[in-house]
Amino acid sequence: MTSRMKQESDSPLFTVHAPDVDVDALVREIQATVDRKMADGVYADARIARAERANLIHLQDEDQFLEFYLRCLRDVASVDISDFEIRERRRGLAPLLVRLKKLIWSLLKFYTYRLWSQQNQVNGLIVTAVETMDKKYTERIRALEARVRELEAQNSPSDDA
Amino acid sequence: MTSVRHIAVVCPRFADGATVGGAETLLRRLADRIAASGRQVTFLTTCAQNHHTWENNLPPGQKKVGALDVIYFPVDENRDISTFLRVQESISNRGAVTREDEEIWIKNSVNSQALCDHLKTQGNAYDCIIMGPYLFGLVFHAAQIFPDRTFLAPCLHDEPFAWLSIMKDLFGSVRGFLFNTEPERELARRLFGTPDERSAVVGMGLDVFDAHPESFGHKHGMTAPYLLYSGRREPLKGTPLLLDYMDAFRARTGRDVNVVLTGSGAYDVSPELAPHVLDVGFVSEQEKHEAMAGALAFIHPSVNESLGIVLLESWLARTPALVHARGEVLRWQCARSGGGVWFRHYPDFETALLRLMDDPPLRARMGEAGRAYVEREYAWSAVEARLWAALEILHQDR
Repeated sequence: MTSRMKQESDSPLFTVHAPDVDVDALVREIQATVDRKMADGVYADARIARAERANLIHLQDEDQFLEFYLRCLRDVASVDISDFEIRERRRGLAPLLVRLKKLIWSLLKFYTYRLWSQQNQVNGLIVTAVETMDKKYTERIRALEARVRELEAQNSPSDDA
Repeated sequence: MTSVRHIAVVCPRFADGATVGGAETLLRRLADRIAASGRQVTFLTTCAQNHHTWENNLPPGQKKVGALDVIYFPVDENRDISTFLRVQESISNRGAVTREDEEIWIKNSVNSQALCDHLKTQGNAYDCIIMGPYLFGLVFHAAQIFPDRTFLAPCLHDEPFAWLSIMKDLFGSVRGFLFNTEPERELARRLFGTPDERSAVVGMGLDVFDAHPESFGHKHGMTAPYLLYSGRREPLKGTPLLLDYMDAFRARTGRDVNVVLTGSGAYDVSPELAPHVLDVGFVSEQEKHEAMAGALAFIHPSVNESLGIVLLESWLARTPALVHARGEVLRWQCARSGGGVWFRHYPDFETALLRLMDDPPLRARMGEAGRAYVEREYAWSAVEARLWAALEILHQDR
C-alpha cells in the first residue's frame, strides 16, 4: 500500500490558481493600500474599535494592528457625557417638548453625571494600563529575542568550520 | 472496485430536511453516492435532530431513505450535562484539563450505547465503516469497536478539542482518514502525526446549477447590492463579526450595502444596521442559489471550516467571496481558485469590499474562476474517483 498510496499523494490532487485572477497579488495590493491608509490615519475611528471586538482573538499576531487598535480604543474609551443640542421634529408642540426634554435631561444628568464621569476615568485607566503592559512586554520580548539571537550566534559553528 | 461491497456510515445526525450541518451533509452525500454506485450502504445515526438539545425526537428503528438503509438509535439520556459543560468550558478556554477530565468530557458527550451495541454485534457485516465528525463521544467510542476497518472523516479544525490527548488515541487507532482539504490533512499531520499513507483528500461533490442573478432581488424587493452569508448564525461561524463589520462599513463609507442571511440561529444586530439586514431563514436550495447569484459577494467569516460547502456553492453561482484570513481552509480555497480574497481585520475588509464594489469586471472574473474551479475539483466524477481510490487502497492494505 505504501508505495501506491505514496504515488497517489505525489501526483497533484488538485490544480492551483485560475489563469486570469491572481488573488494573492490582489490581496497584497489590498494590504498595501490598507498599510498606507493606516499610516495616514484613515482608520483612526472608534467605530472600527467596536467592529473589531469579535476579531480580537484573531489579531494576536498582528503587532502593527494591535498598536493601532489600542489607539482606537483610546478614542472610544472616553464616553461623551457633555451637553448636546436638544431638538424636536414635530412642529406643533416643539417648544413645549424641547423644554420637557431639557428638564428630563437635566434631571438625568444630575443623577448620572458622577457615575458616567467615574466610568470614563475607569475606562481611561484601563486603556492606559493595557497600553503600558503592551509596551512593557513588547520591549521585554524584543530584548529576549535579541538575547536569543546573540546566544545562537555564539553557539553556532562558524562558517569556516 | 469489488472488495468494498457493504459500507456503514456513522454520523450523530442524519442530514434530512431541516437537519443540516456541514459534516452531516458531507456524510449524507457521500453515502448517497456510494449507494448509487451499487454498493450497499447502511447509515447509522441517532434519533436527534437538534444539535443543541440532542433530544430523541425521531422514532428509533430502520427506514429506507432513497437507496440508503438508515438506522436511528436513541442518544443516551444518562449524560451528566452540567459536568460535560463545565469541562467543555475549561477546554474551550484552553484551561488546564487533565486526562481524567478529558475522559469525563467524552463520556458525557453525545453518545449512543445502542448504536455501539449494533456495531459490536453487526459490525462484521460491514467491509468498512466511515464515520465523523471527530469530536463527538459517539464517534470516539464507535471508532474503537472495529478500528481496523474504520475510516474517519474528521472535519477537523484547529480548535481546543483537537488538542486533547484522547484525540491522539482516536487518530492513532483508526485504519484511515478521508479529509476534505489539504490544510485539514496538514493539520492532522501536525497534531497527530497521521501518515500520508493512511489518508486521502476526498471532499464532497457539488451538482452544477444555474441561477438567475436578479430573481432573489425581485422576489424580496431589494434594489441595493447585498453581501450574503448562508449557514448557522453563531459566534463560532463569525456572524457577530460580519454584522459588526457591515455596521461600520455602512457608517464609514456611506455605501448602501445590505446583508442577506439564510440559515438559522439568533444574532444581535444594531438598530442602525437592522433595517438593512434581510433574514430569510431556511430557504429552498433554488432560492439559496438565487440569493448567491444575486449577491455582490458571499462572505464566510468562519475560521473553523474543513471544506466550506456554501463557499463552493457561491462560486457555482459565479459570485466572488470574502473570507477571514485566519480560516486556513477557506483562504486555501480562495487562493487556489482565484474566486475570493481574504481579510485580516476591518480595514482589509473595507478596502476589499470597496474594491469589489467598484470593479464589476473583477467580480465577474473572480466568479467565473470560482465556478471553473468547483466544476473541475468538486464535480462528483472527480470526488468519486478520489473516494473509490482511497477506499480501495486503504481497505486492501489491511
